[in-house]
Amino acid sequence: MLQGHQSWIFANRPMIKATGVSGGPFEANGNLANEFDLLHEDLWMGEETYEKAHRVLLEEAMHAALSKVDCQKEEVQFMMAGDLINQLTPSNLAARTMQIPFMGLYGACSTSMESLALASFIVNYQGAKRILSGASSHNAAVEKQFRYPTEYGGQKPPTAQWTVTGAGVALVCENDGTKGVPVTTSATIGKVVDMGITDPFNMGGAMAPAAADTIIAHFRDRQIEPSYYDLIVTGDLGRIGQKATYELLINSGLKINSNQFKDCGLLIYKDNQPVQSGGSGAGCSATVLYGHLLNQMKKGIYSKILVVATGALLSPLTFQQDESIPCIAHAVAIETEGGME
Amino acid sequence: MASKKKKTTPEQLKYQQLQQKHELKRPVLKNCIKAFFVGGLICMICQAVSFFYIYYFNFTEQTAGNPTVATMVFFSMLLTGFGVYDRLGQFAGAGSAVPVTGFGNAVISAAIEHRTEGLVLGVGGNMFKLAGAVILFGVVSAFFVALIKTLLGVWGVL
Amino acid sequence: MKKIYISCTLVGFIFLASGCNPHARQEDSGMTLLKKTNSSPIQLSTMNSSKEVQDIKKDVSSLPEIYDVAVIKGKKDTLVVYKVKHLQRFRMKKIEKKLNTLLEKKYPDDKFSVSSDYKIFLEAERLRKKIKDAHVTKKKAEKELQSIIKLKDETT
Repeated sequence: MLQGHQSWIFANRPMIKATGVSGGPFEANGNLANEFDLLHEDLWMGEETYEKAHRVLLEEAMHAALSKVDCQKEEVQFMMAGDLINQLTPSNLAARTMQIPFMGLYGACSTSMESLALASFIVNYQGAKRILSGASSHNAAVEKQFRYPTEYGGQKPPTAQWTVTGAGVALVCENDGTKGVPVTTSATIGKVVDMGITDPFNMGGAMAPAAADTIIAHFRDRQIEPSYYDLIVTGDLGRIGQKATYELLINSGLKINSNQFKDCGLLIYKDNQPVQSGGSGAGCSATVLYGHLLNQMKKGIYSKILVVATGALLSPLTFQQDESIPCIAHAVAIETEGGME
Repeated sequence: MASKKKKTTPEQLKYQQLQQKHELKRPVLKNCIKAFFVGGLICMICQAVSFFYIYYFNFTEQTAGNPTVATMVFFSMLLTGFGVYDRLGQFAGAGSAVPVTGFGNAVISAAIEHRTEGLVLGVGGNMFKLAGAVILFGVVSAFFVALIKTLLGVWGVL
Repeated sequence: MKKIYISCTLVGFIFLASGCNPHARQEDSGMTLLKKTNSSPIQLSTMNSSKEVQDIKKDVSSLPEIYDVAVIKGKKDTLVVYKVKHLQRFRMKKIEKKLNTLLEKKYPDDKFSVSSDYKIFLEAERLRKKIKDAHVTKKKAEKELQSIIKLKDETT
């Protein structure tokens, strides 16, 4: 149900019944290594190319999610996924293997929440019983797509971010009344915001206004205060973007506590890992949310969170043509059933 | 549209100022010092290699340059292949990018990156993706410098 | 970071390996490039240092930018090799010109081959050692001198 200008309320409370998270070697050394279902030792993952390895990540995450609730892939009506590679090939190829009716989505790094919002919407209105929704990214494949060759010895500025190798998948189901399972309650679809930042090595700074815009819109549409949520977590803003967003939010008059405002890109890696400003990529918010954060919710540490995944909608082409970086953010509110009312 | 310094709206400008505040600056002085030492070290190795060729082969100081460059590119190829050079590059910046080893790294990293697309279209087509610009503008500027020098010689200035 | 250290050691090792070897094999002329040799000039016709080459050496040494000179005089050609003080190396071309004019004026009958190349210096030194140790005949020494001069004129 539409509420306000750009938000949906999911009255039937679709459940995130199971999640699957896979990661690469860099994530295995990171902060949240224990929260992954599957971790790979090397970036190749036994495949010939990084793109194939990327596909494997997504497939494994999906299988992990399905096997947790003993669900066959034939019982899943739709699959919604996206990644950062040209024409979404890794997701398309994974969909070929899975043989589930498929919708490919592109929202850069915001794909994870875009797909979760849409999946929740469809499930909420009985458009499907079960939907697999996810996003993935692979460091080497994405670097190849957007930046220099991986082995190229260029110096990255401290504003740069490290693309996460990983896939996070959620199995969104109709609410069957089980207690203690995270449900999606509302979502806000963001608009593209471009503040004229052109530096592709400062994505966090470029995405911050989009994140702030979506968060402000969410609270305006839902007419609630930020204190409603235990945690407001952004996708991959990194150090700079997170600070900038926080300042924008404070300036807008929202009363957000700085310790209820976190960023997936800062959670995933340890401080001593050479990631400059933090993690990024479609897999960043997906792995941290579906792994770490939902586990925390199940443990009862958080009961209401708002996840805002941000995406920088640039391509190497537009950047070279001096176009500034358009950015977007989508927010989904997740609550644990039983924890409220 | 874009290319002519797109008009920034006041709103954009305001945000950019806000963002500037949080943006982490490159530690320029620290980077310069690191680049100086790593670059110097690489050049010292080059000098050693060059002396090696002078001592053991029939190369003069003038002619030892070519085999030295080839050797250094070979070293950088090994380091690139072992995945060391990009880390060195992150540490040293221009110190490892400016010497000829940086050029070798640019060529070889592109070749490694695209070997999954096949030998001809992948490696062959993309090998000079980064270094091609260096070669092109190097040759073009060399041509013009030589042209100017020749003309000055003809006119008797030099 | 670990890998950087490993690579640094590797690189250092390569440097050591290439830097140290010369000593092992050639004690005699090994340090030629690093130290001042101040070798006595040689005239191949007498296989010894005579008055004229001594003079040439003294004249060349008189230039303030030059700190080490080797002279070998063959039948027709005279090879003059010198080392330039490090900070003067920017003015290499000028020094060579100056030296050439000086020599031509003073010894108009001689044909000079002038070089500041380390390699030529090294070869000249090696030849001198050989002559001193009487390893070569006059004819062979002349031939070697010619090949050094030829090497000097190579540019690529």
